[in-house]
Amino acid sequence: MTTQLHKNALQGPLGWGLLVVAMAVLLVSLGYALSQIITNGHTSFNTSSALPWGQPIATYVFFALGSSGLGLIASLPLVFGFKQYYPIAKRCVFLAFALLISGMIVLALELGHVFRMLWVIPLNLQVQSAMFWMGAFYALDLLFLLWKFSKLQGGHWDSKTAKQVGIASFIGVLLASGNLALIFGMMSMRPFWFDPLMPVYFYVTGITTAVAILVLLTYLAYGFSRERMPAALIALSTGSLPKLFAACLGMTLLFITARAITGLYSNNPEINVVWADYLFKSGVYIAALLIGLLLPFIVLLSKLRNKMSIQILAAFLVMIAMFVERLYFVVGGQVVPLFKGTWIPDLISYIPSATEWSLTFIGFALCFVIYLLGEKFLNLGDMPNKMLDHTTARKPIETTA
Amino acid sequence: MAKWGMVIDLDKCTGCQACTTACSMENNTLPGETWQDVLFYNAGEYPSGQMKWLPRPCMQCENPSCVHVCPTRATYKDPDAGGIVFVDWNKCIGCKYCMIACPYGVRFYADEKPLIEPDIRDVFPGENAQLWSPPYQSPDEDWRRGIGIQPKGVVSKCTFCYHKVKNAPEGIADLDEDNPDVKEYVPACVRTCAPKARYFGDLDNPESHVNQLIGDKHGVRLKDHTGNKPQVYYLGAGAGVPAFTPADRENDA
Repeated sequence: MTTQLHKNALQGPLGWGLLVVAMAVLLVSLGYALSQIITNGHTSFNTSSALPWGQPIATYVFFALGSSGLGLIASLPLVFGFKQYYPIAKRCVFLAFALLISGMIVLALELGHVFRMLWVIPLNLQVQSAMFWMGAFYALDLLFLLWKFSKLQGGHWDSKTAKQVGIASFIGVLLASGNLALIFGMMSMRPFWFDPLMPVYFYVTGITTAVAILVLLTYLAYGFSRERMPAALIALSTGSLPKLFAACLGMTLLFITARAITGLYSNNPEINVVWADYLFKSGVYIAALLIGLLLPFIVLLSKLRNKMSIQILAAFLVMIAMFVERLYFVVGGQVVPLFKGTWIPDLISYIPSATEWSLTFIGFALCFVIYLLGEKFLNLGDMPNKMLDHTTARKPIETTA
Repeated sequence: MAKWGMVIDLDKCTGCQACTTACSMENNTLPGETWQDVLFYNAGEYPSGQMKWLPRPCMQCENPSCVHVCPTRATYKDPDAGGIVFVDWNKCIGCKYCMIACPYGVRFYADEKPLIEPDIRDVFPGENAQLWSPPYQSPDEDWRRGIGIQPKGVVSKCTFCYHKVKNAPEGIADLDEDNPDVKEYVPACVRTCAPKARYFGDLDNPESHVNQLIGDKHGVRLKDHTGNKPQVYYLGAGAGVPAFTPADRENDA
């Protein structure tokens, strides 16, 4: 029997299968979350007045920063002229959009009054609030991402307008994720977060998350087979992309180490205790650091970094580790009880509830659904004509099964 | 317009929690939604171990970090209402950023797991958009100032009992519960304080008793290093809040 094997595996039956699974996960988790939120409100969350931000906020931060990281990677070819990154540019822009929408949906489900936000924020213009600017810049970011994608979809890779939109989008991404960082970094009453370099930390870790997601989904798109990939993409995935991955991982580890050392050295219990008694007492956090970040970093430093299986494994581990990092970062800033006396004698314990987990699943499932639709209908592997490997890229391969 | 301030004399406070109870009854707050609380601290160890306590309303800060971070201006400081910090329940989106930014932990998101069972919200289910509707309710309701029983999905906090204070005669220096002419306008926690450890008055009025107390008895503001500049002052020993120490590390101190 002869079947047609698409170059892009997700445009074939695999794509439909995954889409069905992702849609099912999305519908089940959305149904569960909505039923809980409508009937029980936020009592279905394990957050409290003592620890108001939990896993849904961490999920939002994970997706928003992943989106920003993807936007920054896309700007390598589209703004800064690193042409070897063209093969992943369109996928990056689309994924940035998918991640941002998913993060926003999770955040919307976490808020007390999401629809009210649509009129009270623009009508009251509280320009002193970093959250106001984060909202404004992420809305602009979303707009620019769509605009940029429409340019790429129309084949305008190097036109003047495409370049201008690319620059605007790059600045938008920096401002949006920078303001998200300041939401935490400007809180002097929460010393674990208080850090003027928090935007830089968010940029670096955002790109690290982005590379992991990009590597994972790009290989998935080609059925985990390099034979299906265009030559330019193979060159990138055995050239500068794994090096960028390793470099970002190294910088992420450097940042975490620096924060950990200053935190442990500090006498201030609101920093010291968080590191000593919360983060480094958690097996999950330590595993994320050692297995999810350090191990992939060491492996990627060697020549093994060009192997597809190593890249996929590293990407998977890093993606999980970065999610864990976001969770412990968000919760870590709140675990020391703030002015509660001996009513709360110890660190505040927090384990996400089933509803909070369902919000996280909504985020991942929605992101995957949008991505799969993009792969299916929008040719995300496209690149400028001169880079396309015409011998292998466009025509479906005839194979026998 | 007055700038309302509170003075709490820790040498007089017995930690009886009458203020906490009065506040809860006056404002129909839920268990755990302690707009006013008395915090207890163990400090030091034998032979100089201490037990300290500290009544803690909202500090109604002069430079409130909660107001700066609110993306919708739902939290605002009203100079025409004595500088009290309010939450406009018509504007609050429940993002909880103000709870993160408040150094004093005096903001509450009551739509959370109940502190005690049975959940009183199930016993008296909410009507007319209220989070819960107990049979007795304070007749005063002003959602623009976060007064009354809150709806779902918003943040609540102490209002210095503005629904009472607002009726005070213009220009009055102090609201003293011993003065029959003004006792109805005194915040519930002040009025109920048996050892008379609380004083309430106009910080902008040089003649006010609260100003005299702050000046004569060396009033201090909690966590002054945050720069929030509370309108609540403490007198006497014990205003120093011990640093957080996890329960299992107390003996390492």
